[in-house]
Amino acid sequence: MSEKKKVLIIDDDPDYVAAISALLEGSGYEVSRATNGTEGLDMAKTLRPDLILLDVMMTERTEGFFVLQSMRSVPALAGVPIVIASSVYSEYPHFRVNPQSGWLPADQFLAKPIDPETLLSEVERLISAPRAAAPGNKTA
Amino acid sequence: MTTEVREKPHAKTQDRVVVIDDDEIMLLSCSEILTRAGFEVETFVSGEEGIRKIQEAPAALLFVDLKMPRIDGMEVIRRVRQIDPSMVIVVITGYATIATAVEAMKAGAYDFLPKPFTIDEFSVILNRGFERWRLAGESERLRLEKEDAQRRFVTFVSHQLKTPVVAVKQYLDVMLYTSRDELPERAQEWLRRSQLRLGEMLALIQDWLDLSKIEHGQLVRGDASTDLREVVQGAVQTQAVTAEKAGVAVEIDCPAPLPAVRGDSGSLSMLMANLVGNAVKYNRPGGKVAVRMSARDDAVVVEVEDTGIGIPSASLGQLFQEFHRVKIPLTANIPGTGLGLAICKKIVSELGGTVSVSSREGVGTTFTLHLPVHAATDSSQPRHQASEPE
Repeated sequence: MSEKKKVLIIDDDPDYVAAISALLEGSGYEVSRATNGTEGLDMAKTLRPDLILLDVMMTERTEGFFVLQSMRSVPALAGVPIVIASSVYSEYPHFRVNPQSGWLPADQFLAKPIDPETLLSEVERLISAPRAAAPGNKTA
Repeated sequence: MTTEVREKPHAKTQDRVVVIDDDEIMLLSCSEILTRAGFEVETFVSGEEGIRKIQEAPAALLFVDLKMPRIDGMEVIRRVRQIDPSMVIVVITGYATIATAVEAMKAGAYDFLPKPFTIDEFSVILNRGFERWRLAGESERLRLEKEDAQRRFVTFVSHQLKTPVVAVKQYLDVMLYTSRDELPERAQEWLRRSQLRLGEMLALIQDWLDLSKIEHGQLVRGDASTDLREVVQGAVQTQAVTAEKAGVAVEIDCPAPLPAVRGDSGSLSMLMANLVGNAVKYNRPGGKVAVRMSARDDAVVVEVEDTGIGIPSASLGQLFQEFHRVKIPLTANIPGTGLGLAICKKIVSELGGTVSVSSREGVGTTFTLHLPVHAATDSSQPRHQASEPE
């Protein structure tokens, strides 16, 4: 028997969080919620989630990006996939930051609102993918 | 004057005055008046030295004698205008003829001081010049602040508009994905329709944001260079699912390697996704979209041809206008923001290119782009100047 996989959602919009939580919980994930970056970072350290879903514009305009950078410097969180979900990205692929570019080491960028099927398949893919190191640690 | 601590080695620009005159006695008296008024004064007997100093450290005001050996006052004015256009220049003229003063003002001087002058006369001109400098600086600062606020306003408003729509649509998306079957048929249908309408609204907000960003010169980067073939392939890929659903075949025709064009891949993707998207959207089942690329002179020519419903000739003129949508029964049920082609047109003009359209109703439409080749891969003159937003 395998334990439930843990997903941490860091987002300040309670309605968006309620919808996404319901979707993930319905698919068998254990969901925790934080409403700002500081709280999210603390929770991530103690919870050790299997995946983090992170908003960008919270209290600060680019709060999510700072949280992301901080998380990548926490050894305990090395290898935890982080998905940036934001409504500031348009649908055109080139407007997203390439996960391989290194300067914003997220594993995936998704535009809000997120298509439920896409979210579930991406979460599953990222959680089950074998990971040597966080993408930010790449030297290439 | 402020009571702020003065930074070494130079005082603040607002406190600094430069005087250039070959008459040492003049320099001494000016220096005394200015120091007493609280300014930091630097005096020079020759134009060269004065100009060199102004290049090193900006000052608010310059008093310059018109008649000097070697570099005369007129030449000093011309050079200082180039170094620092915000500096206020007052000419000192020994032979007070209107003609020389007028000539100096034409060259960019703000005021003139006829010799000999009293302390009061000098003070009046000094205060007026300094006030002029202060106001110019302030209006420039206000202009920049206003521009910045406008830019932030657009991003902020679009985020504020999107946030509630995103939350509501996310509920509907999840509800329809997880519990569709538990809902009565009519509820399902209405939720699906609401979902579509919210999608339209989000697209509209996004298009409006993109358009504003282009207008503020924030989106299109004319100094970048991009391989258009990759962009077109990406754009076609983003439309693949929609095209398949619509039964439209999309093909790319690019026989020879292309030179890189001006522009960042983000804006060019937006441009191509819009055009290819339209060609798919306004097509017919079993129809075709052909994207042809070729190099011609110092441009890459892209044609996006569809076998769609075509555009009535009466509409062609307004096609690129914001919120213009062709109103014929065939398009009545096709969602669109009416901003897509306006965005295309703006991106293309930011890059110094052109976009044109030809169409026959019931036969199809062709959009033709001329996109300038990036200067680095082009043999003609570098044109990075033209990439500055107007």
